Order: sequence, then C-alpha cells, then structure tokens
Amino acid sequence: MHDPSIVIETRDLTKRFKDLLAVDSLSMKVRKGEIYGFLGPNGAGKSTTIKMIMGLFHPTSGKAYINGKPVNGGGVELRRDVGFLPERISFYDNLTPIQTLNFFCELRNVDKSVVPSLLRDVGLEDAANRKVGTFSKGMTQLLGIAQAMIGDPSIYMLDEPMGGLDARWVKTVRDKLRTLNEQGATIIFSSHILSEVQALCHRVAIIDNGRLVAEDTIDNISGGLHIRPRLWIQSTGLNEKMLSWIREIEGVEDVVAKGDTVTITCDAQARLRVMNTMQDRGLIIKDFRTLEPTLEEAFVKLLSEGGEP
Amino acid sequence: MSLNPRSVYVIAKKEFADNVRNRWIVALIAIFLILTIASAFMAGEGSVGEMDLTVGVLMTISSMLVPIIAIMLGYATISGEAESGALSVVLACPIRRIEVLLGKFLGLGSVICFSIIVGFGISGMIIAGTTGHAQWGGYVAFILLTMLLGLLYVSLSMSFSALLKRRVTSLGAGVVTFFWGMIIGTIMMGLFMSTGGSMNDLISGDTSSFPDWFWFTVFLSPQDGNQMAAMLAFGQTEFMGFEFDVPWIDLSSLAFAQLLWTIVPLMLAYRWFEKRDI
Repeated sequence: MHDPSIVIETRDLTKRFKDLLAVDSLSMKVRKGEIYGFLGPNGAGKSTTIKMIMGLFHPTSGKAYINGKPVNGGGVELRRDVGFLPERISFYDNLTPIQTLNFFCELRNVDKSVVPSLLRDVGLEDAANRKVGTFSKGMTQLLGIAQAMIGDPSIYMLDEPMGGLDARWVKTVRDKLRTLNEQGATIIFSSHILSEVQALCHRVAIIDNGRLVAEDTIDNISGGLHIRPRLWIQSTGLNEKMLSWIREIEGVEDVVAKGDTVTITCDAQARLRVMNTMQDRGLIIKDFRTLEPTLEEAFVKLLSEGGEP
Repeated sequence: MSLNPRSVYVIAKKEFADNVRNRWIVALIAIFLILTIASAFMAGEGSVGEMDLTVGVLMTISSMLVPIIAIMLGYATISGEAESGALSVVLACPIRRIEVLLGKFLGLGSVICFSIIVGFGISGMIIAGTTGHAQWGGYVAFILLTMLLGLLYVSLSMSFSALLKRRVTSLGAGVVTFFWGMIIGTIMMGLFMSTGGSMNDLISGDTSSFPDWFWFTVFLSPQDGNQMAAMLAFGQTEFMGFEFDVPWIDLSSLAFAQLLWTIVPLMLAYRWFEKRDI
C-alpha cells in the first residue's frame, strides 16, 4: 500500500558499471512538500541515483518509485509530475530559448503561451532570441530551470541546480526554489555545496560511495553525532603555554589555535571559565562568538567514520 | 507496445525543422537538381539526354551521395545527443524511447525524401520538357528507390548511433557503413577470382561463366542492390558493364532486400536504445 505522503522512494536501488559499484542498495524516501537535499562528495553516486529515478539509467537491481508507481514499467505518464534538471544540462545549440521551451512544451503537451513568463522567471527574457549555443554555462542552467517548470510539476528533481552559477544567480535560483516549495512543490536537489543545502533543506540524505550514510533533518544529524557548538576567540598574546592552560580547564575537549584566534570545543558551562582564565592570565579578548554546528562538520564526521550516525 | 503518435510527430517535426533552419534541405534540393541536369547533359553528350540514360549516369553518383547524406543526418542523432546531455532532458519528459526513435527516423527520413522528390522531380520535368518524351514509370521507380536507399542508410546510421557511446566512434562507424556497400563487391570479385574465375571473362563482360553466388553481392551491398533495381526498373539488364541473367534477382526480390536492410537495423536500434543508459 502506497503512503501518499511519500512522493519519491527508492528500495535497494543498485547500479553497477562494470567493476564500479556506483550506487549500492540505496533506500530513501522523499516526503511530499519538503525540500530534500541530496548531499555527497563528487562521484558519490548522486547523479546516478537521480538518473535511475528519472528512468534514464536502468538499475542493476532494486526499484525507484514516483508517487508510488515503479519508474521502470510504470508507464511514462508518471514523469509528467516531475520537472527535471540534469547535471551539466545541454540543449540544442541551434535553437533559441523560445524554440527550446516551445519544443519541451510540445513534448509535455503544455500550452506554449507559458514560455515568455518562464523566461522572465529566470531572467532570460533579454536573451530570448539568441541561439542557446552562444549561452554561458549559467544561462543554460537557468534555461534548464525554466524548462523544468513547464507544466507546473508537483515534484522537482534538480541535479546541482546551483552549479556553474555566479552569486547573483544562486540567489535567484534559491529564491525560486523557496517560492516553488511554498506553492506546494516537493523539491529534491543534489549539491556538494553544504551551505546551500543547509540554507534550504528540510531534510538531507548524505551519500558516499553509493551508500546512504544518513537521512534526516540537519539538526538531528548534527545532534546524533554529538557535534557541539564551539567557542571562537580572537585575542592577543596567545602562545603555547596559554593554550595548554586552556586545555586543562574542566569541560574543554579540543583547542585549535590559528594566528591570533583560537577555537575551543567545550561544554556550554565551560565557556565562561575559559574566558575568565584567559583574562586572569592577562590576555586581551578582542572578539568572541559561538559557532553552531554546521552540516559540513556532520558531513566530514559522517564520511570519516564511514558508518552509521 | 503502445505508442503516442503525437509524441512521434513532435520529435519528427523537430528533426525536420532543424534541417529547414540550418538550410540543409535547400542545399540538398540544389545538389540533387544540379546533379540530375548535369547527368542529363552528360548522357546526351552535350544536349539533354533521355531519362534512362540520364538515370544511368545519375545513379553512379546518387548511390554514393544519398548514403553519405543519410549517414551525416543520422550518425550522431542518438550518440551525439546522449553525449552532450540534450537527450536526457527529452527522455525525462513523458515520452517513450520508441517514440523518440521513430520520430527521429521519420523526421530525418522525410528530410531526405522531401529533397529527393523536389530535386529529382523538378529536374525530371525539365528533362521531359526538353526531350519531348519521358519514361516516367522508370523515373518514378528510380525516385522511389533512391528514397528507399536514403531511409535504409538513415536506419543503418541510427542503429550504430543507438549502440555507440560517443559521437566520434559513431562517425567512424558511419565511414565503415558507407564503404561496406563498396567493399563487398570487391570481396565478391576477389572470391570469384580465387575460385577459378577468369580475368578474360571479366574484361570481355562475358558473364555466362559467373557463378550465381557472385550476384549475391546485390543483397549484401545496399548500394549495389539499389543500383541494380533501378536498372531493372528501366528494363536494363546490364550492371557495372556486365550482362546478367539470374532468375532470382528481380525488382521485387531486390526491393524486399532493401526493405529488410531498412527494418532490421531499425529494430536493432530500438533494442539498443531501450537498453542504453542515457
């Protein structure tokens, strides 16, 4: 029985290319209405998984489902609900953006009158009559996002949507994804840029070497790994002796010094003791702040442990 | 297997429109037109020649030119688009792979057929108008056979385009495919010589000593088969300077072989395309 709150699901999805196991028994579930980040280092199997979900790659074993229907054997109509942006997107160089979007409207049986507004949405209206072959990587990417929006799909499957975009366009795309999500769309996107995932996603899946390492909210992943907030202090007069005094303070786990700053991993209660000790020893604290755990730390910790959180 | 004709049409229309946009189709019509008129003057030794003689001259060129054009249209249609990534966006749409394949075949096929009909058609009318009489039956059969040759090579090139991973390798396969039709005749000739064939018979054109299997080349080589069919369509029984009289070679067996050469590669293309990771 299909749970209608699950829009994308994979069960033991596996892909082997000759002697390379690209995706290894991957099982994940994407819930309706969430922004789901698909995170992993290059070559982890993100794109391969996405291509199997889109029916472009044939799984060696296991299955992928869209809205409860199997991708292989479930008919082509189920893809009507999915807007897709592949990694390193490419269109037909000889067509203009208008001709390109017209073609994809025809393929999806959507009225072509939506094309101008799609181009405006991604800020390409000024390039509407140029050949796509003359586009920069970022512009092609934006056209790809416009293409994915044809027919207002309820699911977006985006492989590295921010890849190749400069900062201005990253913001455009990020805002666009938020808006689409607020309008009810489920968004799955892969990235190796952790800050993007952290800023946008409700839940993340972390994969490495084709295996799912973690699938949860960022808070839960960080919490489960016992990654603590850290204390960052800028001060004058830091030296080895001072650092060893800090290390001896009760509750301090780790001390890393760099130039005139020091980052201390410690209990919340130990923070004041650290600062007091430093001042008592004659150091002048110029600045300090606490650093919340980042996805990057969780990511690095998970990958270095290579196992269950 | 269910098919959505609308999806096939959308793909076919795009392939055709691409070749209108890049002016390929105009160039092809011009090439066919000029070629036919030049052949007519050659056949008529300075003035416009009769249709059957014109076709005799024209065929030696068109049986090479049409396969080259078809291979150029088709060799990268899958491998090239898969390599660039354009095909993955198409296949992520609600469309079946068979629909993409058939659409491409029909689209590219109509590029070739349209330019053949217009190019050869106009020049046929010029010849008929100038000479005052025309063997339209044979000429129309020649046009149909040339279109079939075009479709045949589109199908062949799509089959290796569906199989091979990269644009460059399928270009190589295109070259091999093109020369296959020529090489096979030479191989048959070699086999004939090494099994007691006489060079004198070959030079004098006395084909009575030729074994029947020698003529099988017209089934193995799509180009030779097409040429011979066109000769037969005009009631000629001379081929590459050789008189032939082999009972099992007639217009229908040749046309059937040409159809097989078209359908089988297309079926293979479907099989390879379905299995392919895009």
